[in-house]
Amino acid sequence: MLMPLDMLRAGEVAEVEEVSGQAAWIGRLAELGIRQGCRVRVVQAGSPCLLDVDGCKLCLRGGECSQILVRPVG
Amino acid sequence: MLTKTLTVALVGNPNAGKSTLFNALSGLRQRVGNYPGVTVEMKKGQFTTGGVAVDLIDLPGTYSLAARSPDEMVAVDLLLGRRPEEPRPDVVLSIVDATNLDRHLYLTSQLLDLGEPVVVAVNMIDAAEAQGIKIDCTALSAKLGVAVVPIQANKGIGIDTLTRALLDAAEAAKSPVGPTFPEAFEKEAVALQAELGGEVPGFLTRRLLLDVGGYVEQWLVERHGHGLKQKITEGRQRLTEAGCSVPGVEARARFAWVRAAVAAAVTRPSDRPVTFTDKLDRVLTHRVWGTLIFLAVMFLMFQSIFLWAKPLMDGIDGVREAAAKGIESNMDSGPLRSLIVDGVVKGVGSVLIFLPQIMILFGFIAFLEDCGYMARAAFLMDRLMSRCGLSGKSFIPLLSSVACAVPGIMATRVIENRRDRLATIVVAPLMSCSARLPVYVLLIGAFIKEGYSTWVPGLVLFALYMIGFVVAPIVALLLKRTLLRGATPVFVMELPSYRRPKIRAVLRRMFDAGWAFTLRAGTIIFAAMILVWALLYFPHVDPNGNSYPARIEEAEKAAKDSEDKLKELKAKQDATDEEKAELEKLEEAAGEADRLNGQWKRASILGRAGLYMEPVFRPLGWDWKIGMAALASFPAREVIVGTLGLIYDIGDVDSGAIGDDEADDEAKEKAAGLAKAVKDDWAKDPIRGKYGVAVAMSVMVFFALCCQCASTLAVIRRETRSWAWPAFTFVYMTALAYAGAFLTFQVGSLIIDAVR
Repeated sequence: MLMPLDMLRAGEVAEVEEVSGQAAWIGRLAELGIRQGCRVRVVQAGSPCLLDVDGCKLCLRGGECSQILVRPVG
Repeated sequence: MLTKTLTVALVGNPNAGKSTLFNALSGLRQRVGNYPGVTVEMKKGQFTTGGVAVDLIDLPGTYSLAARSPDEMVAVDLLLGRRPEEPRPDVVLSIVDATNLDRHLYLTSQLLDLGEPVVVAVNMIDAAEAQGIKIDCTALSAKLGVAVVPIQANKGIGIDTLTRALLDAAEAAKSPVGPTFPEAFEKEAVALQAELGGEVPGFLTRRLLLDVGGYVEQWLVERHGHGLKQKITEGRQRLTEAGCSVPGVEARARFAWVRAAVAAAVTRPSDRPVTFTDKLDRVLTHRVWGTLIFLAVMFLMFQSIFLWAKPLMDGIDGVREAAAKGIESNMDSGPLRSLIVDGVVKGVGSVLIFLPQIMILFGFIAFLEDCGYMARAAFLMDRLMSRCGLSGKSFIPLLSSVACAVPGIMATRVIENRRDRLATIVVAPLMSCSARLPVYVLLIGAFIKEGYSTWVPGLVLFALYMIGFVVAPIVALLLKRTLLRGATPVFVMELPSYRRPKIRAVLRRMFDAGWAFTLRAGTIIFAAMILVWALLYFPHVDPNGNSYPARIEEAEKAAKDSEDKLKELKAKQDATDEEKAELEKLEEAAGEADRLNGQWKRASILGRAGLYMEPVFRPLGWDWKIGMAALASFPAREVIVGTLGLIYDIGDVDSGAIGDDEADDEAKEKAAGLAKAVKDDWAKDPIRGKYGVAVAMSVMVFFALCCQCASTLAVIRRETRSWAWPAFTFVYMTALAYAGAFLTFQVGSLIIDAVR
């Protein structure tokens, strides 16, 4: 089941299926490791939220999280 | 053997340990390079290795070479040898974090495309080992096709091997090969290159195709017209049809390449251990506990700024006074002495007095940034700041501005987004700084104390501070909707691992900030101070052709000579009428110097301007005296207290003595005298007598909103590299102040009328 990233609760892990929005933003997220196929863990939900991507902590806003479609794992 | 100087560019992600490596390599031989038209500063260092002199350029930390702004473009141009100031680097030194290789090698893969030799330094190898990550640098080197050196920059381990690798790479001068892109992409890139000709390097052509709306696209479309834009769009369309749309194609190609290299060289434990950073973050980024700790840290920071800076500031003030006295007693009176004492010594002093606060604040900021806490603070404050169109990173600069806008504006350097940074800079002077306090205390003491409940003065003071806290976000929001409009910057921020801050780096940041302020802002403040001095000094002869300074000196001498006699007469209980008359005369003589001074200031150019501009001040409820004091305080708002002292014949009042219980008695007496003199003077006037409170509020609101600080404007000029922004700040704040004061007086007088 696909859902926007901001629907996940703290502690949940998901695989990124699709990043939509402006090209510059997609590129920026890819540089930071959020791209199709990567795994993210939500450390803290809400806006801004805290994500763990490959052992690295990233902080994103809710509006931006809703542009990232993920598939929950486990 | 190489004989010429080698140029090495140091590139890496933020938090890769770039600055630490830069310091480890170049030691103390550093300077800051500025580039025209942009706000970035790049540090340059020098060192010698194996008999070869090496110039090391430290580029700003970046996640990628996809330039989005002129600032980011400087780094790319510099790497390609397209900046006239620097030669093309002989070697590119790519520093990566061993605990986060996947991410950091993305930038390395872009560096390989530049065509220059690349050396990879794998930093924080010890931290990786502690997490159970093993990196086989030989295997990694074979996969990447460039030298890979493991280092620990903070302990200086591996630096020798690294410098040797740099020399070898420069000597071999071999162009590395980066990841392969799909054939369809290569075809489009070749076609686009043919369109542009040889003037644009292949690297930029590929960026043009990849970075939708990026800086390369803006720049080249502007130069080649819309035909090019059409061609790029068509090319991207074809790529989408071929199944490798931009920008996804780059991420896929590069990360596939990175993954292959990492798979061959890195072994990781299957479960990532919970690190110290994770444990600490559970508390520090917690919505409640984290916020409480953040508030405590901020409170501690501002307490220290006030407490630690106070003795230093007093010391600077003491030196300034002593220097002024020393020169006064060793020089004949005249314009030159006045210029040196009132213009130069007091002017320079009023600049240097900010130094302790600036350095302490920057010490704190450097410490918090170095240990990784700053990103957490920005995370916690983002929710609040996003409401006014800014991000969490604007919080600390704005809060610092409550102490003083000068260090606050300098602290905006941590904000990467240009529009956010400009909006923060422009609203920072609205925060109520410590220099406004004497004005508030003076006027509240004179008008809103007697006949009011004890809590009213405090409430008024609080309300005045709230003006800044309320107006600044509104202005920021308006700016972001109008002048600084643009796509909402995506807010993605990395929270780096916590690490122990390096004391030397913190000290260096403190001194750099202090020096930058003294040197560049100082010159402008200094010039402004001399200008106001001249406007208050000339003309310096009275209508009879006598010089004011000479008359004041005479009066002072006469007062001094009769001082003993005055004391004697004052102490006398049963004075005769004759003696009483003499006492009166002597008392009058004692005040003669201050009276003459006031007369002189009124006749000066600035004084006349105040009289001339009275119609402008009238709607605010002000007379020419208040107007002139406000005019004189445009270079530095605390000047108003001294100027009011001159105008109301009290003499030069020390603004520091207001509200300071430790000030000496004479200074306190004068300050109290000023409050009384202002009150008495206003009572005589029909408007200010009736609406005294409304006038006082109007003056305070004006001071709360007006940008009466040459230092602030000079720093804005310095930080934005443009006169437009300080001019804009000055104009909008003055207009806002006038409107605010107008409203306050008009509404205030209506209320007073209604109550009576």
